Amino acid sequence: MEIRLRILLLTLLLGLMGSLSGCATLRHLFGHDAPPPAAPADDGATTDRTATDESTPPRVIEPEVERRKIKVPRIKSQDIELGGYLGTLNIEDFGAHRVFGAQIAYHVTEDFFLQVEAGRSKAGRTSFETLSNISLLTDNERWFKYYDMSVGYNFLPGEVFIGRNRAMTSSFYILAGVGSVDFGGDSKFTGNFGAGYKVLPTDWLAVHVAVEDRVFNSDLLGVNKLASNLEAHLGLTVFF
Amino acid sequence: MSDASAAQAPARRTAAVLRCARFSCALAGLLALLWLGLGARPAQAAANYLQVFIRTPYLELHTGPGRGYPVFNVVDRDASVDVLKRYTDWFKVRTASGVEGWASAHDMEQTVLADGTHFHYDVGDLNAFTSHRFEVGAFFYGDYGGASAISLYGAVFANPNLSGEVSVGQFLGRASDGTTLDLGLAHIFYPQARLAPFVMLGTGVVRIEPKATLVQPDDRTEQSAYVGGGLRYYLTRRFFLRGEYKEHIIFTNRNQNQQVDEWKFGFAFFF
Repeated sequence: MEIRLRILLLTLLLGLMGSLSGCATLRHLFGHDAPPPAAPADDGATTDRTATDESTPPRVIEPEVERRKIKVPRIKSQDIELGGYLGTLNIEDFGAHRVFGAQIAYHVTEDFFLQVEAGRSKAGRTSFETLSNISLLTDNERWFKYYDMSVGYNFLPGEVFIGRNRAMTSSFYILAGVGSVDFGGDSKFTGNFGAGYKVLPTDWLAVHVAVEDRVFNSDLLGVNKLASNLEAHLGLTVFF
Repeated sequence: MSDASAAQAPARRTAAVLRCARFSCALAGLLALLWLGLGARPAQAAANYLQVFIRTPYLELHTGPGRGYPVFNVVDRDASVDVLKRYTDWFKVRTASGVEGWASAHDMEQTVLADGTHFHYDVGDLNAFTSHRFEVGAFFYGDYGGASAISLYGAVFANPNLSGEVSVGQFLGRASDGTTLDLGLAHIFYPQARLAPFVMLGTGVVRIEPKATLVQPDDRTEQSAYVGGGLRYYLTRRFFLRGEYKEHIIFTNRNQNQQVDEWKFGFAFFF
């Protein structure tokens, strides 16, 4: 009786131990973490297998290589130039006065560009007005306001050197166009032409020195004549 | 008289000082911008640039964006460069060693991307002239009912034949000045041809400012309609010439409407 009881207790103890360690011992049963297949034992065995493979047709290998898809980043363009200028405008018969304006240009090629300018200046008094103390124009009519559309051409590209380590690109340009001048209470169709020089301290910044003439038919002083209004200015523009 | 002059003198001096101060401020602003420009360095790390590989024996780098600027560096075959930006037909690139220079679009066309395809930059051709999305142009010569006229226009294409157009202009004549704004449709025949005719139909407004010495009439704004036609001639790259005729009917509040003939000639580009 006592021996039977011992056998029963031993059986229960063994069963309990088996169930506790079962998780670790049974996991290999389903192939998890199976050991890698054994490497070919020797060259002789490989030769035997090659001999048996020759009887079967060769397998076509299909490469599963995906071509890289390149996402092409957008290349930033800098064809538009925007800026302002400050200078002196000689209004025919009314003296030379400060002028300021804005300009925008679109560079179509390295040679040609289209430019729109708009500026204003305030005329002084003619010699007649000064001597006779009579005003020919009202204060508002003395504003000389203009805009023009021009075609420009860059030429003589080069470099400007400042010191030993700094070189800046530069270029001359000429331009011609048409526009309008609002002066003396009247608007006039205007032809403009000029030339300039620009230096680029960086790729996106340009310093301009330009001289332009604006020509229109004027009968402001009683006689119809071609009025020439020469302007010289210093400008600063940004490319974007 | 002398009292008045004495009173005006300080005022003139103050105005002169103010003018001088304003001029100095403007000049200081210009110099500050210039200084900022000189000190600026391109953002290198953050931006994601296109990388191209050289397949020709070498790629020439110029100091500036133009054929006249000297070549100062070459990049060897199989090396790569990052494309930083574009100015007209020139690309600013940076080599692996950090040298930055300008390469022409023609040379860049010979490079390849990382996937082996050729780098392509569309400079515009007859096919693009046939079919594009936008165009902008300027009419440097114009005659609006005998007055000199200047105008700009922009167009959006629905298909190669049909576009919607906006035109803004100014006319300056002996009898009157004015501005015009037109909105309409244009139909292009044979858009694939180098010389392509077109017809137009639209409406607009015109502001007329009569010139008179004795009696000053009021400025007036009238509605108008137009019908017209013209020719487009492809030049090169993205350029073409455009000449057109429009017959405007201005709806006045008088007994008769006014008819104005307009001729324009200019050039335009598409993109």
